[in-house]
Amino acid sequence: MLEIKPIINALRRSKVGAVLLLIQIAITTAIVSNAAFIIQDRMTYLQQDTGYPEQDIFSLSVMTYGKDRDLSQQFEEDENMLRNLPGVVDAAITNAVPLSGSGSASGMGLKPAPEPGRSVRAGYLMADDHMLNTLGVTLSEGRNFYPDDVIVTQDPNKLPKVAIATRTFADEAFPEGDGLGKMMYIGDRPFKIIGIVDKMKGPWLKDDRPDNVIIFPYIKAETYQHIIIRTEPGQRAAVMQTIEDKMLAAYDKRVITNVIAMDEDKRQYNASDTLMLRMLMVLIVVLVAITALGIFGLTLFNISKRTRQIGTRRALGARKSDIIRYFMVENTLICAGGLLLGCTAAILMGQQLLQRFSLPALEMQYVAGTALMVLVMTLLAVIFPARRAAQISPSVATRSI
Amino acid sequence: MLTMKNVSKVYQTEMVQTHALRDFDLEVKEGEFIAVTGPSGSGKTTFLNIAGMLEPFSSGQYMLDDVNVGALSDNQRADLRNQKIGFIFQGFNLIPDLNLYENVEVPLRYRGIKAAERKKRIEACLEQVGLASRAKHLPQQLSGGQQQRVAIARALAGEPRFLLADEPTGNLDSLMARQVMELLEQINRDGATIVMVTHDPELARRAPRNIQIVDGQVADLTLYQGVARQTDRAVVGG
Ligand SMILES: Nc1ncnc2c1ncn2[C@@H]1O[C@H](COP(=O)(O)OP(=O)(O)O)[C@@H](O)[C@H]1O
Ligand SMILES: [Mg+2]
Repeated sequence: MLEIKPIINALRRSKVGAVLLLIQIAITTAIVSNAAFIIQDRMTYLQQDTGYPEQDIFSLSVMTYGKDRDLSQQFEEDENMLRNLPGVVDAAITNAVPLSGSGSASGMGLKPAPEPGRSVRAGYLMADDHMLNTLGVTLSEGRNFYPDDVIVTQDPNKLPKVAIATRTFADEAFPEGDGLGKMMYIGDRPFKIIGIVDKMKGPWLKDDRPDNVIIFPYIKAETYQHIIIRTEPGQRAAVMQTIEDKMLAAYDKRVITNVIAMDEDKRQYNASDTLMLRMLMVLIVVLVAITALGIFGLTLFNISKRTRQIGTRRALGARKSDIIRYFMVENTLICAGGLLLGCTAAILMGQQLLQRFSLPALEMQYVAGTALMVLVMTLLAVIFPARRAAQISPSVATRSI
Repeated sequence: MLTMKNVSKVYQTEMVQTHALRDFDLEVKEGEFIAVTGPSGSGKTTFLNIAGMLEPFSSGQYMLDDVNVGALSDNQRADLRNQKIGFIFQGFNLIPDLNLYENVEVPLRYRGIKAAERKKRIEACLEQVGLASRAKHLPQQLSGGQQQRVAIARALAGEPRFLLADEPTGNLDSLMARQVMELLEQINRDGATIVMVTHDPELARRAPRNIQIVDGQVADLTLYQGVARQTDRAVVGG
């Protein structure tokens, strides 16, 4: 026998405790569902496939102060030296390192300037024909650069005529999916997309277009340059250890810095996300624990306050199970109210987060899942106190005055 | 209707054993109105609790309408309380968060009676105790006498054949006490068997049968006057 109506009436008449609990459940639901969703979103982000064999790749920066050598030639020699090191698969000089959080981006036009036309933003890498192999990515369409596509120059007017783009970029520029072979423009300078890579992330994973990447066959030797190196599996640590010495042995009027593994580079770039993730997890655990304790405590308090009432109910014919059910129903009602409020608050909060922090839209299954979890938790938190209430002897009705 | 043979009740606390009832014998017949008196601590409430199946007894036999109470499960006792017994307490024991209507409804809900039937009975019982117009009031808005009348309405709602009252007038002034007594007499005339514990010799005298409990046993006194004197002395002494 469910006695919902009298329970609601009784709750309405002494509502402070119930309302506090209801609010607590609502807040927990609102925060936990959003936090859980953000956690899931960040987890997916942190664990995403970048397209690179990160555990085999590392990079370093070269700062040259010597003026006695031609930089282009020096870098060419460096590349040859590095590619022949034991344990090294391939190496490439580049302007930017993917996943590192620093690099360059620009809008690529569909029409030459100043003709009006759409442009598509992409992070761009400038390197030679070894870049794809160094990054461990493969072409899915078209061809790699030929060695004579690669322009090594200090002349700002000499620009590359071809490029390799990611599928995401090509499809954004050419929604028909026929980007291969098409011309695009940097300013008024044309280039042709000769190859397409399915998956390859740019310098910024948190960019709004992390998958828009273009590689130009272009080396403009600068005094500050990056080198990416891919090693045989398991060889990276050993290669990294001696790389500075090898580089300085080849030419010593320079400084080698930032020798860093690609996965470590990514980890540092994502450090704030990882921290946020952990804090959100702690927040969830604390909130859920507090709510559970709140329910537990409130029910225990209710029971001690209502000892005589429980005894009287027993005297009037309530079975133990009726007493347990009373508290379960009472709590479920409070919980239902809290969940109703909490789910509404969760959705509103999700909308605010969406607008203010441009987080993705809260998925309803996170609200539903959280509500279910909170409900189960409330039931668990009430079951022990309720069983204790059922043990109250009916003789309390005559004994306690 | 009620037969107790050699019923004993021992309370075991850390320090002491209290023999609240010892070899208690009593027979109550259908339709009787019995006033139970006796010194404080003599076991009156214990007797009432055992009679009402609110607590178990230690030994002996208790038959209620040919049912051996000692052999019942907790659920069976709860159901039997609900069907056969109406309780009236010294402290009224109304549920403070429920209005009068809902208070009277409590035992009917445990019985699983349908809403329409409940309504009929509740209204009739509140009418009988003269509080029909107050059905929506909360207990704390009533005087003690009115509260006790609601409690009586609640006890009557399930149409029990057996009414147990533990000092029902103990918290009431004499005028209200007399009203409650009159109500009980009316209920008895309507057919219910009543056992009432009281400290009030005047009320006890009004009951057709008196029992005195002394030291956990029915005092073997046949003379009504003697019972009354004993009671008075015991009250003074206890
Ligand atoms: N729950 C209990 N635990 C221990 N002793 C009890 C308990 N209830 C009653 N007693 C003792 O049993 C005896 C009889 O008590 P009770 O039946 O309440 O007496 P009365 O109602 O006649 O005043 C008393 O000595 C009392 O102290
Ligand atoms: Mg007593």
